[in-house]
Amino acid sequence: MVRASWLALCVAALSFPGRLMAQADVTELEEEAFRAAVRRIAPSVVRIETIGGLEKVGNLLVGEGPTTGLVVSDDGFIVSSAFNFAQQPTSILISLPSGERAAARIVARDNSRMLVLLKVNSTAKLPVPEMVPVAEMRPGQWSIAVGRTFEGQVPNASVGVLSAVNRIWGKAIQTDAKISPSNYGGPLIDIRGRVLGVLVPLSPQAKGDQPELAGAELYDSGIGFAVPMAELLPRLERWKKGENLESGLMGVVLKGQDNNSDPAEIGLVQVKSPAAAAGFKAGDKIVELGGSPITRLGELKHALGRYYAGESVAATVQRGTERVTATLTLVSKLEPYAHPFLGILPRRVPARGPNGDALPGVPVRWVYPESGAAKAGLKADDRIVACGGAPVATVRELQDRVSANEAGQKVSLSVIRGMETLSVEIAATALPEEIPADLPPAAAAASAPAKPNDGKPGEAKADEAKGNDAKANEGGKAGEPPALGVVPIRLVEDKNECMAYVPSNYDASTPSGLVVWLHAPGGYDEKDVVERWKGVCERYGLILLAPKAAKPERWTPDEVEFIRKTMDEVSKRYTIDASRVVVHGYQGGGSMAWLVATGRRETVRGVSLVDAGPPPRGNYPETDPFQRLAIHFAGTPKSPRAATLEESIKRLRDAKFPVTFGTLDQARDLNETELDELMRWVDTLDRI
Amino acid sequence: MRNIDRTETSGLADRVARRVRLSMAGRAGLAMVLLGLVTVRLPLGAQEPPAKSVAGPAATGSPSLSQVVAQAQTKAVKIYGAGGLKGLESYQSGFLISATGHILTAWNYVLDTESGEVTVILHDGRRMTATMVGADPRLEIAVLKVEGEDLPFMSLPSAVSVEPGARVLAFSNLFNVATGDEPVSVLKGIVSAKTPLSARRGGFETTYNGTVYVLDAMTNNPGAAGGMLTDRKGRLIGMLGKELKNSLNNTWLNYAMPISEISGAVDDILAGRVRPRAAAAAENAKKPKEPATLALLGLSLVPDVLPKTPPFIDRVIPGSSAAKAGVLADDLVLFVNDRTISSCKGLREELTFIDRLDEVRIIVQRGQDLKEFVLECGDQ
Repeated sequence: MVRASWLALCVAALSFPGRLMAQADVTELEEEAFRAAVRRIAPSVVRIETIGGLEKVGNLLVGEGPTTGLVVSDDGFIVSSAFNFAQQPTSILISLPSGERAAARIVARDNSRMLVLLKVNSTAKLPVPEMVPVAEMRPGQWSIAVGRTFEGQVPNASVGVLSAVNRIWGKAIQTDAKISPSNYGGPLIDIRGRVLGVLVPLSPQAKGDQPELAGAELYDSGIGFAVPMAELLPRLERWKKGENLESGLMGVVLKGQDNNSDPAEIGLVQVKSPAAAAGFKAGDKIVELGGSPITRLGELKHALGRYYAGESVAATVQRGTERVTATLTLVSKLEPYAHPFLGILPRRVPARGPNGDALPGVPVRWVYPESGAAKAGLKADDRIVACGGAPVATVRELQDRVSANEAGQKVSLSVIRGMETLSVEIAATALPEEIPADLPPAAAAASAPAKPNDGKPGEAKADEAKGNDAKANEGGKAGEPPALGVVPIRLVEDKNECMAYVPSNYDASTPSGLVVWLHAPGGYDEKDVVERWKGVCERYGLILLAPKAAKPERWTPDEVEFIRKTMDEVSKRYTIDASRVVVHGYQGGGSMAWLVATGRRETVRGVSLVDAGPPPRGNYPETDPFQRLAIHFAGTPKSPRAATLEESIKRLRDAKFPVTFGTLDQARDLNETELDELMRWVDTLDRI
Repeated sequence: MRNIDRTETSGLADRVARRVRLSMAGRAGLAMVLLGLVTVRLPLGAQEPPAKSVAGPAATGSPSLSQVVAQAQTKAVKIYGAGGLKGLESYQSGFLISATGHILTAWNYVLDTESGEVTVILHDGRRMTATMVGADPRLEIAVLKVEGEDLPFMSLPSAVSVEPGARVLAFSNLFNVATGDEPVSVLKGIVSAKTPLSARRGGFETTYNGTVYVLDAMTNNPGAAGGMLTDRKGRLIGMLGKELKNSLNNTWLNYAMPISEISGAVDDILAGRVRPRAAAAAENAKKPKEPATLALLGLSLVPDVLPKTPPFIDRVIPGSSAAKAGVLADDLVLFVNDRTISSCKGLREELTFIDRLDEVRIIVQRGQDLKEFVLECGDQ
């Protein structure tokens, strides 16, 4: 009966008559201890009422009922959950322990742990509760969730145990007491009435348009979170001055994806970032942060999650056999990453020697005039064999190496030209927005080094392939010749229709670009589509994918998933060039293309909207060194949406996206010439 | 251990899935309910104490929790009646309140059968037809009667009252998990709050406006209405009510009505003093014939353009009661006679409850200050 004696101690500490202890059973003592704990915290738990504001936030109907707050400082500061203010109320009222009601305003927010700090307009001295340090918390101990949302003098309480500490990337503790809008913003207390944390809805995936609502769907489920207040106290003075607390960023982009297996290896150090100031480099592995050892990516997120912007943290990286430690002052915002551009279009297959052997390095297809590469003297058919001192064998490796830099930096290359090996240093600029007027064909000639500008081998191949034209079948698996022409794409689980058009000159040994064309309201006719796209697909080595909306008159946002699956299906059957995957659409198809592209950054490299624009509200994408996205709009200044589009373009350019704009004479789809030009743009997307 | 029929379990899963869909995000708590069922019922099956041999609480001090549960379960009944469509389950719970077969339950559509009779299954599996003795639509309770003698029952006069923090047990046939002679499900929790339901208008869609025990277990799921709430010694505390959504914060409410709030009505029903059904309209009946209006007070509000337009005062009519009291344009009305007002619509609605002969006390926010005024309706 360890618990019994422990409880007896607790209760004794709360000064109960000894006589009661002897008679009452453990359960009664427990109940009395719960009540005593709630009584102790009650004066610090306030009821909050809000006036006005939105009726609905996102899809959630927010209530207008009272919510809860907790006193954190005797001079009138109260902390609460950001959830309680998601409706952006006009006015906030707080009922003080004395019964007095006073107006309050939001002083500052904590956008990492989703709290708000309120200041009450009152001179009354408020009772500050005792806070428990996280180090003293033990999962399994009693935890009582307290709110003040029901009528009456006594706060409402729910009893559970502490389920875990260090949850949600180290930001929160967890309880199985029932947590809901009835107590969000109130305290989670221990059996002695001391504060463990402030109750909030939280989700490990919290992001999106309404981060303050994330996790609210878990209400009353036995999974509830609280932000440990003891961790916030050292930040309170800063917070009281009105400074919002934001997540702290180091300014590194990590190479891995899997939190549980990949090491925390730096893929890129962003310029002007804390990590750059600390001298960290791409390739360094972060092995310690703030005293916590790090072996995997997830552990780094965990260690970093508890820090705010403006705070300093010691970080150690492993660089080869060396360990480098530096102190980083975290920031809330980083300069957007500007992708570096050297001015090269690579060939898509390796160059071959006279005897047919593949030659090492990435052969240059074309050098952009006036680019850094042109100024450094690079020429078509040079072969790039190393970047920044590391050897590169494929286009992909070269892209990744270059992406570890930013526009404005210098990138060194080793280049083989004929029998010579050259070292060049290229000043990287921003990615170009213009579409080159004319490009040499991408297909590598068998004897390309000898005949640089010869497009004939590609044409010859097209002639040979003509016999296969338009034979639609569903083959194309390994071993069988891939289906060419119109290929139906059927997914077992979706009733939507979809077709792909594979040009007759498709060659599995040369990667093809993929254009996902999303039809405008009204659907499409297969013949018309083939008519329109056949030429450009052959000319630019592209496969067209044309999914159909379930209802031809409009796309619905949940069809993004279906489109994603058709893209995966085509990528399984054909050799797709990962650098040239583009989603394109006119009007409603364009709006859908934006959804697909921004929701699938890991695969989509270009997005093209004709007479359409991004949604005026909503989150804009951010540039990412390893997930490039080029943006194309075509529209007319006469459109009523022109001003909105102009604003969007400005925002995207400020965010360092390359935005190409084509002016149309009126609101219409692209004509043949314009479509050809757009596909030339797609042809350049593997630019380096 | 009792076997749960396979089809019955999958049926349950269906219903659970349906319920979860129906209630959108709200009922993640369901998983916990089911967990609660399993954990509480396993030891029961293992011990299986015959109900009659259980000693009463007085005999040897406190009985064990499993004895308490086993004894209480003998008094619970499963009720089957109308419904079965579109998320309206055709079952609910009840409990015996006399040795001769009186059953207290929630007054609900389940009881609304064409014949006026419903099927009741007792703890031992006996299937009986029950007739309605009477109901109180205001409290939403009903008393049924089955033929019987020496039945185990909960005595209403012995019911106790508890305070927040008290451990409680809720017995009901939620989700119709128990069939035949299977004991009803028991959930444990604590009383989170003891609070009047009616404190804010429109908070709950129910005609009951008395005090309730708010519970921190997921007790009020489909089929639970009419179940019993006891303390951990098995003493009756309350009856589980119908499913209610708290419209103030859009969460489902888990609650029970204290026996003290309903025992008077049960006595009336048993004595044949049937209460008028019209009491359901009591709220509207409270409205005065000639209520106060904004114009009579001398106020006009900003145009009501949003679903929840904050009630800012646009203009104060010179010479009116409001003008004399010192109300100014741009004041934000927060309270009328101590009721919170959250919108222009809410303010107009609240005034319809105030007779124009009575004083109207308002609290407004001006900048960061709160100011109180007492207004009177002027002549038209």
